[in-house]
Order: sequence, then C-alpha cells, then structure tokens
Amino acid sequence: MALIELKTVSKIYTLGSQEVIAVKDFSLQLEKGEFCVLAGPSGSGKTTLLNLIGCLDQPSAGEVWLEGRNVATVPAKELAAIRLNKIGFIFQSYNLIPVLTAAENAEFTLMLQGMDKKVRREKVRRWFVDLGLEGLEERKPSDLSGGQQQRVAIARAMASDPAVILADEPTANLDSQTSEELLAVMQRLNEERGATFVFSSHDPLVIAHGKRVVRLVDGHLESDQCVS
Amino acid sequence: MDLLNLAWKNLWRNRRRTLITLSALCFSLMLIQGSHNLSHGVYSSMIDSGVRAGSGHLVVYQQDYLATRDEKLSFAPRDLSAEIGRIAGVQSVLPRIYLPGLAQSSRESRGILLTGVDPVVEKAVNPFLKRLPADEWLSSDDGREAILGSLLLKELKLKLGNKFVVTMQHRSGELVSEMFRVHGVVQTGIKGIDKTLLMVGRERAAALVGMDGEIHELALMLTDQTADNSVRPQLNALLQGRSDIRGYSWEEAMPNLYNAIRLDYASSNFIFIIMLLIVTIGVINTLLMSVMERFREFGVILAVGASAMRLRLLIIIEALLLGLVSMVFGTLLGSLLTWYLVAKGIDMRNFVSESLEFGGVVFDPIMRAAWDPLWMVKISFYLLLLALLAAIYPSIKAGKISPAAAMRHY
Repeated sequence: MALIELKTVSKIYTLGSQEVIAVKDFSLQLEKGEFCVLAGPSGSGKTTLLNLIGCLDQPSAGEVWLEGRNVATVPAKELAAIRLNKIGFIFQSYNLIPVLTAAENAEFTLMLQGMDKKVRREKVRRWFVDLGLEGLEERKPSDLSGGQQQRVAIARAMASDPAVILADEPTANLDSQTSEELLAVMQRLNEERGATFVFSSHDPLVIAHGKRVVRLVDGHLESDQCVS
Repeated sequence: MDLLNLAWKNLWRNRRRTLITLSALCFSLMLIQGSHNLSHGVYSSMIDSGVRAGSGHLVVYQQDYLATRDEKLSFAPRDLSAEIGRIAGVQSVLPRIYLPGLAQSSRESRGILLTGVDPVVEKAVNPFLKRLPADEWLSSDDGREAILGSLLLKELKLKLGNKFVVTMQHRSGELVSEMFRVHGVVQTGIKGIDKTLLMVGRERAAALVGMDGEIHELALMLTDQTADNSVRPQLNALLQGRSDIRGYSWEEAMPNLYNAIRLDYASSNFIFIIMLLIVTIGVINTLLMSVMERFREFGVILAVGASAMRLRLLIIIEALLLGLVSMVFGTLLGSLLTWYLVAKGIDMRNFVSESLEFGGVVFDPIMRAAWDPLWMVKISFYLLLLALLAAIYPSIKAGKISPAAAMRHY
C-alpha cells in the first residue's frame, strides 16, 4: 500500500466567471521514505498538488489516498487531526507565529496534540540540537535569520513524527548557501530517520537534491524520474 | 505554552490598539460604577431622609387611610408601639397624628396640617428637626408649644413666642379652637411642608379633636433598610388580629419618591446600556481587526492541524482576557472614583439651590456616593459577558477560514 496515492486528480478554481484548471487528471504514488520533488514553473500546479496531498483542499475530481484512506470521505474535523498527526508542513515564508518564541513555535503541533509540556519541551530541545538551533530557543522569529526560521519550521514539522513532510518552495526566500545547508539537513533526516519529504520547487538546487523528480507542466504530469 | 498563553501574547501583538480598547472598557466600567454608586448614595440619603420625616421604613395605617388621607381613619395603637419596638431590627416607633385645619394670627390666616408627635422619639429621628435648637423643641406631649414651618411663620406674620389660634373640626362635627405659642421654626426646603407644617405634642392634638389615644400613623424606623425582610413578616404577624389596620412599606407609603427614584434609575440604566453597547462595538472592532490581520497566520495554524473549534476558542479566550483585565482594572478605577465620591462628594451648591426638591424629599446639594459592591461585581460581569459576546462574530469568521485560501492571502 502506497503512503500517498493520487488517482486521476483534477483541481479547477473558479475566478469570477472563469474556470482555471490547476491540475488535470494527475496520478501519482508516493512510498514511505521518499525524497521527492514536484518540479515545474510557476502556475504548473505544484502548490495545488501539495495542498491536495496535505488535506488542505479537496480535488474537483479524482481521489487522494493517504495511508490507504480516501481523504475525500473524511469529515472536516478528522481532516484537521490527519494534518496534525500525519502531515508536517514547511512553507516558503516559514510562517512561524510571530508572538511565540522559536521553541514555542516548534512545540506548537505537540501542544495541539495535547502532549505534556515537559515532554514536548525535551523533544523540541533534542530537535534544536539536531538542527543546530541550540541557544535560540527563546528568540522570537523576528530575531532569527531566514535560514534559522526555516530550521525552526523544520523542527515544527518533524516534532510530531508525521508520515510525510510537505515543503512548499522551502528555499525560495533563502540564499544559495543557506538553501544548500537546509537541503542537506532535510536529506540527512530522510536518510537517517526515514522521513518522507515531498517538495514543490522550481529551484534547480532543490531539484538536484531530489531522489525522485516529478515534473509538471500546466497541471499535467510531464515526467517522473527516479534519480540514483 | 498553551492556548491561554498564545491568546495573551496575541492580545499584546498590537499594544496600542489593545490599550485603547482596554482603556475604553475600563473607563466605561469606572464611570458606570462611579455614577451608579453616586446615584445609590444620593437616593439612599433621600430615602433615609424621606422615611425619617415621612412614613418610616415600614408604616401602619388604618385601612384606606393611605388612599384617602381622611383624618377620621385613625386607630388606637394600644400596646402595638411597645410590641413592635421589641422586634429585632426596629430602631424606633413613631406615632403621629395628621389633622388639617386653619391657623390664625392677629393679622393673617392660613391652611395648615397639624402634626401631633411624641417629642422625644421624633426629635431623635426626624431630619427636619436636626438644625432646630434644643430649647426650641417641644417640651411635652400636651403643651401649647408649636413648631412652625418657616414659610407659614412668615405668611402668618408671626415671630418666636407669638400666640396664634388653630381651628379644626372636632370628631363630633363641631368647630374647635385652641391657642398655641410659636416655640420653634423649621426650614425643610420643601415649600409644601414649610408652608403648612405645624407640629405640636400628640396628646394635645388628639384631645383637640376628640380622638384621645388614637393616631393616624405608626412609623417604624429600622436599624437599616435591609432589615425590612425580617421585620415585615413579624409586623404582619402582630397585625393579624387587627383587621382595621395594616402595614405598608415606604415604597407603598411614599409612591412619589419611590417612582421618582425608579424613573431616574431607569434613565441611568438606559445610558449605561448605550455606553456598554458603544464599548462592545469597540471590542468587536478590535477582535475583528485582529482576526483579519492574522488571516494568513490562522491559515497556517489550521494547516498544521488546529481544528476550527480550537481557533474559535483562541479568539474567545482573547476576548475573555480582554474582559477580565477590563473587569479588574475598571473595578479598581470604579472603586477609586467611588472612594472619592464617598469621601468628598460633589458639591452642587453653585449650580442648584440648597432646597432642591426631588420626589417630595429635599435633595442634598452635596452629593455623596455609597458603596454598592454587589452591583459593582454584577456590572463588571456584564462587561465580561459583553466582551465574550463581542467575540462571537470574529470567532465564527476565524473558524470559517479555509487554510489553503488563507495561505494565498498576503
């Protein structure tokens, strides 16, 4: 059973009286432990696909299956629980909560899971050590660099041990050196911990790090390559 | 870190806006509590003055006397005064006689209301007699000394020590006259009273019209107004065997004063409601602005797994904290204002005459507040409730956010 399966998925947005096809008849299977990049130019449907995989949106047609469950049949309340327990998100602009400290941001999903404060603090402390964020626990996001903020976002995504981490253009706001470092971190987490990553990016650097590269053009699958 | 902590931090995200909203809430609460306590103080003092000079906290009348004020409707108190005086919570019992008549001096004549009182108890209770020198007060129950209202004295062209004649109808139907001497003068500030008041010893008054041993009114002064609840049933029990008389509260006996106070409270409450509505709109605005500003952030919070209900709860907690802080600081400010108004009061002597009348009672031109802690707590909880109600729409709006759409929002 595939971890994620998209079956002839289409997504159509209505803008005023116009219909925009973001994804058309797209099928894909992703297995546990993959390090996959959805590559393509802007408007090719990468973010739409990540939103569908991440249960943030429902397809206009087709089915999205996560760990053997068709998410279209899951009620909204349960979808929130799936996002909380099965999916980790890393966003292009980090999207940390500005009023919380770095550690509190990383703990956020654990707090939503109802984990004991001491346990989650210890868990996050270990992630901060692993991600080179020691000593930055009490800093606010505004006091961190872009790379540090994205590491905190990775800690937030990883802390709840999700089945898959979805990263939407995670290096788009970072310089190439920081991007390289960050990709190395995620690659290590994939290799050492078996974490499943699905990226969306048009950055050649990210694409070069992908073990599987799925190319999209105008919402269609152009190619699906495994890189050895 | 939990929702409470996050809500508290969110509240201070836009410090200036939160402070402005908090100030509006706190000052409104302060003004509402202060002005209510001021009204409470002024009315308490007016009620106190009214009941002391008038009916007492509770009063016993012959059936129908209250409606008709017919001087023939008198009753014999017998041992009632002593029995009532033994009820816990009763401070004093004042038997009174009210008789309409005509006062004639050598130069003028005027209509009067002759009031027969027991000098000892009346002097201790009646606020009109506070400023009357001790040597001008009635020395006995049956003497010919009389206390006149200041305007009546003037109209009759009398002076202290002058004699005058009072004429009234005897129970037998005959006209009777009696000579009295001006022994003291009172100025109540109420024109109607100052023009007609003529106070004499009760026994002399009763003897004049042939109603010996009878009275029109038995006024009860209580240790405090709240004693009404315990005294009233005991009074009713005492009166059970007497079908000719019944007990009344001061509200029934002095409907003018009671209704004037009620009307004033109603208009104050209307103003309070308007004030609270205005600040509630301010709270809605603050919370709604704060939700709209965090549209994208809420999308992220939903995306990482928070349920819509949890997001709604976050907004409600923010409103709850806003309400709680306002409750505490607003009540603190309200208490400070009340403390000042209790201690110093507001001197209105430059704006109103010293004898301003309200509901048949003289309005003290130095207005002083009185503490009404229960009401202060109640209104502060109303404020909290309004803050929570104000959060309903913003929280519903936040709960409807679609995470995917919100994250496209900049």
